[in-house]
Amino acid sequence: MSEPNSTAAPAAFAIQKRRLRLLGLTLDDTIKAFFGGNAVVAIVVLTLITIFLLREGLGFFAQNSQSLRVYRQAGLEYVDFIRAEVDDHTALTRYLSDLRLRQLTDLTEVKKLSLEDANAALTKFDEFADKFSGTVDPLRSMLSDLTEQATAIKTKFIVTGDKKEERRQLLAEGKTAEAAAVQIEETDFAAELKPLVATLPAFKEGNREFGRALLATLDGAPVMPAPELAARMEKLKQLTRDYVAGLPAVEHALETWDYARPIPAWKAVSSFVFGRQWLTASFWQDWYGVIPLFIGSLMVSIVALVLAVPLGVGAAIYINQIASLREQRIIKPCIEFISAIPSVVLGFFGIAVLGQALRALSQVSWLSWMPGFPYSERLNILTAGCLLALIAVPTIFTLAEDALNNVPRAFKEASFALGASRLQTIVKIIVPASLSGIISAVLLGLGRVVGETMVVLLCAGNRIAIPDFTAGLSVVTQPVHTMTGIIAQEMGEVVRGSIHYRALFVVGLVLFALSLLINYVAQGIVRKYRISIG
Amino acid sequence: MVTAAPILMDTPPSASAKSSAGKSPFSLPTVAVPSVSAPGGLAAPAGETLVDISHLDFFYQTSQALHDINLKIEAKKVTAFIGPSGCGKSTLLRCLNRMNDLIDGTRVARGTIKIHGVDIYQPDVDVIELRKRVGMVFQKSNPFPKSIYENITYGLRLQGLNDKAKLDAVVEKSLRGAALWDEVKDRLDSSGLGLSGGQQQRLCIARAIAVEPEVILMDEPCSALDPVATAKVEELIQELRERFTIVIVTHNMQQAARCSDTTAFFYLGKLIEFAATRDIFTNPANAQTEAYVSGRFG
Amino acid sequence: MSAPAVHRFQSQPNAARRSERAAFWLFRAATYLVLACGLGVFGTIFFKGAGTVFKAEAPFINTTFFTDAPESLYIFEFEGKKYEMGDRAFRAFKEKHPAAAKVKSESYVYSAGGIFPCIVGTVLLVVGSMTIALVLGVCAAIYLNEYARDGLFIRFVRLAILNLAGVPSIVFGLFGFGMFVIYFGWNVSLLAGWFTLAFMVLPVVITASEESLKAVPKGFREGSLALGATKWQTIRKNVVPYALPGILTSSILGIARVAGETAPIMFTAAYVVRDKLPWEVEKAGEFLFQGVMALPYHIYVVSSKIPQNDYTERVQYGTAFVFLLVVALIAASSILLRNHLRSRYKW
Repeated sequence: MSEPNSTAAPAAFAIQKRRLRLLGLTLDDTIKAFFGGNAVVAIVVLTLITIFLLREGLGFFAQNSQSLRVYRQAGLEYVDFIRAEVDDHTALTRYLSDLRLRQLTDLTEVKKLSLEDANAALTKFDEFADKFSGTVDPLRSMLSDLTEQATAIKTKFIVTGDKKEERRQLLAEGKTAEAAAVQIEETDFAAELKPLVATLPAFKEGNREFGRALLATLDGAPVMPAPELAARMEKLKQLTRDYVAGLPAVEHALETWDYARPIPAWKAVSSFVFGRQWLTASFWQDWYGVIPLFIGSLMVSIVALVLAVPLGVGAAIYINQIASLREQRIIKPCIEFISAIPSVVLGFFGIAVLGQALRALSQVSWLSWMPGFPYSERLNILTAGCLLALIAVPTIFTLAEDALNNVPRAFKEASFALGASRLQTIVKIIVPASLSGIISAVLLGLGRVVGETMVVLLCAGNRIAIPDFTAGLSVVTQPVHTMTGIIAQEMGEVVRGSIHYRALFVVGLVLFALSLLINYVAQGIVRKYRISIG
Repeated sequence: MVTAAPILMDTPPSASAKSSAGKSPFSLPTVAVPSVSAPGGLAAPAGETLVDISHLDFFYQTSQALHDINLKIEAKKVTAFIGPSGCGKSTLLRCLNRMNDLIDGTRVARGTIKIHGVDIYQPDVDVIELRKRVGMVFQKSNPFPKSIYENITYGLRLQGLNDKAKLDAVVEKSLRGAALWDEVKDRLDSSGLGLSGGQQQRLCIARAIAVEPEVILMDEPCSALDPVATAKVEELIQELRERFTIVIVTHNMQQAARCSDTTAFFYLGKLIEFAATRDIFTNPANAQTEAYVSGRFG
Repeated sequence: MSAPAVHRFQSQPNAARRSERAAFWLFRAATYLVLACGLGVFGTIFFKGAGTVFKAEAPFINTTFFTDAPESLYIFEFEGKKYEMGDRAFRAFKEKHPAAAKVKSESYVYSAGGIFPCIVGTVLLVVGSMTIALVLGVCAAIYLNEYARDGLFIRFVRLAILNLAGVPSIVFGLFGFGMFVIYFGWNVSLLAGWFTLAFMVLPVVITASEESLKAVPKGFREGSLALGATKWQTIRKNVVPYALPGILTSSILGIARVAGETAPIMFTAAYVVRDKLPWEVEKAGEFLFQGVMALPYHIYVVSSKIPQNDYTERVQYGTAFVFLLVVALIAASSILLRNHLRSRYKW
């Protein structure tokens, strides 16, 4: 044993493994595997979210396709051609009443007439307007008849579907006799539609008569007192002529309409993605178009960001570059504490205080130059946007402050050493160097705002319609509904498995995809423009 | 050698040492209460080769950090690694107790490191056992944010030793061994972070010797210390050489000259010269070594 | 020769300096405007809510508001006097005065009584979901920071965490509804709410825990490993204890979010109204499978489903006030705990 480096040595320097093993794993390996399993949770959750949203949501497209098919087969589509014509006429009538309002203002405010006198002066105009709007009445009554017929066909079809379902359930329960007793009357759409389509010649006749009558009323149009109003009257005349010229197109559409034409599969998707109507629980036809909700979310977010970005980034620059150490120490946690205010409390604040206050502010006379002021809807884009800005500010502030902090001191010192002032250094060196971080901060703020639910549910006004963009900037004083809000509001009331229920899940999918996209872009910007500190 | 073994056998074998304790007179109990008369790692007598590095190639990812290193480190001697920054001396040091394993993408591509003839890069080697026998003191002193007492006993407690009396004995012996006892004996329960820089580094040395390793690796232990503290640590190294094999990496050539027995000069990942310290500093065989030790580059 | 009045480096007012000052004032104004808005919200709710929660005479706190369940408020005139009372009191009153049985009364739902069940429900939801989130999150963070080596898998995990953090809370609500309520058949229950909320705060907990693990110096790990500690021993004794204060700080953020969220519990855990308290269940096993009332949802209900007037305002502001107070208290207690731990471990 005097030779330690002999073959006996390995035993002597006992560093070989001799630990307890289970299934070939040491205790340490097992622990590592345990922790690793936890790390996978994030992936698992993300996958599960995708799976369950798809599981509940994907059925929507099949159901929507079916719903569109029934819409065509039961003749609802046919009737809607006529309805569109009538609605267009209503739009013209609305233009006419707007004209009357303008005239009235002109008479009372410029010509200083009393209200009674002004109304009296407008008698001729009113006669014209009545005649104008009355021309459509025969068509309108025809339309309501057809509406009834089509609804009846649709109801019949739905009842048949219910009965089939009943029989299927009875068969599944083994009650063959009862199943056989269920009377099922297959809907023969061709036969059912016959009386509906048979009205076409009558409609054509009525339509031409309507066109003639409408043009005839135009001749009796009163003379306008002011050139501006006269121009509007001319415009109305032009619009009406165009409208009448478009009438044969409706007839043509009705003639070529075929109930049996198949609905292409992409329609089920495109009617959701590009649909301009979100109309549910209607007696006629439900529409699930995401556009109004999407635009609502977008408008609210834009307003929020317009307010939050200057405030958040400005505050970040102030705290990071300008403020004294004491100010920093007090203000930073305060702003971060704002993010702890639960959104539902902010929503309540909006209903109880801010909506009221903003409306009162809008009615202050010297502020009336502001777009949209004064307004009457207490809950609207502006109210929700202001509150969402308060939610986005802490996010933007914190992330932007981080980005500013990451700018190497050396940049700043070099700039100072060249004789730049503090403002110059901030504007020319610090902000550009941290721009990617600031942009991604803004994007993540956007992500928070788009995904926020309670504030928009409580404060955005919940009117499902695309806001009227012709109003210019004052569009922000209109109420909207949002994607998050609609889920929160309608989820509790829908029948599980119904098309409406699935549509809400698809809206959830859109939100989910949107949040992933925003995240992806934000990360991409950070990665691409990261300053290399070498 | 043979006389030392029975002494070791008298020390109470700890739980983890049981399996190996009886097999051979050379077996090392993992816990051995140090005694000045019979110090711990007695496996190799002074002057005998303890660590045998042969043809070692080492890579960080794709860049080769060490090229064909051949080196024999003798027991109970102080071996100094010198060389300019980035020459691979610290890398080699960290290979000796496989601390490099903790860094992603490192690998030994060729060659062996044998301690007591055991290749420590064999797959069946338990790194934990290896590190118990090859202790390390780091460049930046890193006492744990615990009391001085807990710092010293940390390694022993890990091995399951909880006997208060024994732990007390180890603490005193280790602190005395690290020449720190007189300075801290009244405040063993205060935090190790409350000590001065030099004291912290000696605390780390005391912590390392408490588990009775055979080899102590020191990675520039004095680079963050002032001259007075450095002198104390160097003095300590002289005392420790009686009981431990010490490998020290240093930037300071005077330090290498003062405390080491043999010196290895590295340059660009290659071992340029390895000889007795006196020869390296007075009569280097290699022109690069001469240029470095005389301060002409590096 | 007299000393020159202006030396070379004398600072002089000029346009650049003025514009700099103006710009700084703008930035300052932005900062203080944000603070003012926050203060405005807090102030209004505290000021108005305090009227419900506190009262002028001893014990100065409106105890019934904290200990009673919500009930309808009845307002009526009887024998020339105007009365306001809650549902139960009104019934007792009618028994006492049979003549009052036919009296005409206005009623407002939820406007009387208190919010005790909501407080209980919120506490249960927060405690349960944070326990789940902390266990999962801290373990995941330990893996990511201590064990994982950079690779495709880890990059994938990190990407997932980042993306999870951006998912809107209502989507978590939908997911929880689809998975726990429907697929697992747990119905609207505490358990479904716990998991939904836990998954929602998971990224916050993971990110912040990892950050505090990173803050533990590398020397602690190396020193411990060099002494022959196994990886697990090192983590358990020399890393996690020092990271704990940071992890608890991170949980503040999480708790504030969990307590404040309404959307995820709307379809998974919250009831508009429930007469029984959570512990009044027949079998212990039912405890996890019952829905609860919760403060944030109650605020939603009272602010959107009932009209606004002087009578309903009390419960609206009172609930919001208590809710803010609860969130602040949770945060404050976590901060205290953190400070306590921080003084113990310092490096």
